Amino acid sequence: MIKVIGKGKTGRLSTWAPIAIFLFAGLPFVLPLSWLSLLTEMLILAIAATALNLILGYAGMVSFGPAGLYAVGAYTTALVLIYTELPFWLAFVAGPLLAGIIAIVVGWFCVRLTHVYFALLTLAFSQIIYTILFGWYGFTKGDDGIVGIPIPKLLQSIPNYYYFTLIIIGISLAIMWMIVNSPFGKTMQALRENPERTEFIGINVRVYQLSAFVISGFFLGLAGAVFCGFSKSVFPAYAHWMKSAEMLVVCLLGGIYNFLGPIVGSLVYIFLDKIISDFTHYWPLVLGLVIIALLLFLPGGIAGAIAGKLAMRSDKG
Amino acid sequence: MLRVENLRKSFTGHVAVADVSFELVEGKITSIIGTNGAGKTTLFNLLTGHLKPDSGEIFFKGKRITGLPPHRICKMGIGRSFQKANIFPRLSVFENIQVALMSWAKKSRNIFLRSKTLMVNETNQILENIGLNGKQETQAGLLAYGDQRLLEIGITLGSHPDLVLLDEPTAGMSPEESKGAVKLVQKIAQEMNLTVLFIEHDMNVVFGISERVRVMHLGRIFAEGTPEQIRANKDVQKIYLAEEN
Repeated sequence: MIKVIGKGKTGRLSTWAPIAIFLFAGLPFVLPLSWLSLLTEMLILAIAATALNLILGYAGMVSFGPAGLYAVGAYTTALVLIYTELPFWLAFVAGPLLAGIIAIVVGWFCVRLTHVYFALLTLAFSQIIYTILFGWYGFTKGDDGIVGIPIPKLLQSIPNYYYFTLIIIGISLAIMWMIVNSPFGKTMQALRENPERTEFIGINVRVYQLSAFVISGFFLGLAGAVFCGFSKSVFPAYAHWMKSAEMLVVCLLGGIYNFLGPIVGSLVYIFLDKIISDFTHYWPLVLGLVIIALLLFLPGGIAGAIAGKLAMRSDKG
Repeated sequence: MLRVENLRKSFTGHVAVADVSFELVEGKITSIIGTNGAGKTTLFNLLTGHLKPDSGEIFFKGKRITGLPPHRICKMGIGRSFQKANIFPRLSVFENIQVALMSWAKKSRNIFLRSKTLMVNETNQILENIGLNGKQETQAGLLAYGDQRLLEIGITLGSHPDLVLLDEPTAGMSPEESKGAVKLVQKIAQEMNLTVLFIEHDMNVVFGISERVRVMHLGRIFAEGTPEQIRANKDVQKIYLAEEN
């Protein structure tokens, strides 16, 4: 029997997700701080990439501008902490909320277009956000960025911030997992497969695409807010298309048709970045070669290939 | 059930549907036949909201539906199938039907329920009706073409329509499969008390089951009658012969 792609053993995610979290929770006891810091960065990238993949892999909407909303999350948290006396958790929540609200406005325009036009419009909006962050020196400190963002004492140590990130990613992934497995998630996949047919089963395509875009935007903003606390600084480069490209590469690397794809992708990406940068200054060149090899030999990404193998094995068994 | 009045649509000067009027009676199977380019699919696209007419009106169950978007027309009870298998290729056969059922049950927006356990019996019932039971887990795009067309009819049924518009449902099927599919439609229509409108290129497909046949040519309804009357109509024969030559 031919099985549906991406349905291998990942279906038992709920069983072993707690085990994974338990393992991750033990890492601060064995890893040096520099590695722990790298791992935190990887987890934050994993939230962002999974958020992007909600629209990319599940709804079939190729966005070239996820970094725009990521930066909105990061800057909102930073600006609230710098300019107001509000507590950290309020500033932290404001990031994803504002990113979600901006996503409603951006998405309202973008879902009117499809394919490459949609992609280009998302890129245009993210570059507008970049330009505002870069140019509005009086408010955002422009190219200098905002440094020395005050965060609570409790979160200032690397292990503590790692645990904080772990909790956030645990909750975020659980919610996103619930969404992609809900009727809404299934409808998004139908939309990805065939928007025209979806409309003829009574689905208002634009409303669903906009909803997916806003949910994705919220979690992108959340990732930005977590990164703001991690680096205690924000820069316009967070909104740059290079950051968007990084998120897209992470999704492709891991596999867009698998929930775990972006997480695997971010792990491999950060790891490659660290290893290769130690040897050569030409990390982007190596990355380029890796992407070419991947697209040619593993079009479903790393997680996609593993899930495929597992599915084949369980079929034989 | 469906009333069409003077419907007209043209594309850059070419009139695809010209002042078409007809009425469909509840619970009956009827057909519109015609040669390639007669305007049949354009007519369907107008009825289901895929295209907006230049003029004319469409009423369904007494309500004006002219120019409404497809998703609203679908919710009012009109389902359609397409000329090519129009399915969700990378979803499983089961999920293909299930998404349509979830939409009908107004559950598609829910993000808290687990879709796997929803509408399972209803989905399996439709799969049994269309003869795809046992292929639930198969990726829809990997089904044989004939099965894909059956699946598409299944997706249409998932919307619980009162009126089903079938656009050449047997195109691309072998003669055996065609016969089976037509019988299947007849059986389902009877069981579910559906009103069915076929559009077909091949007269032989629909003559067996249609109570009334309309012939479309150059955008107009040009003849109407029982299958026997249409078969005997000299002008209809001429049109089809002209196409063959």
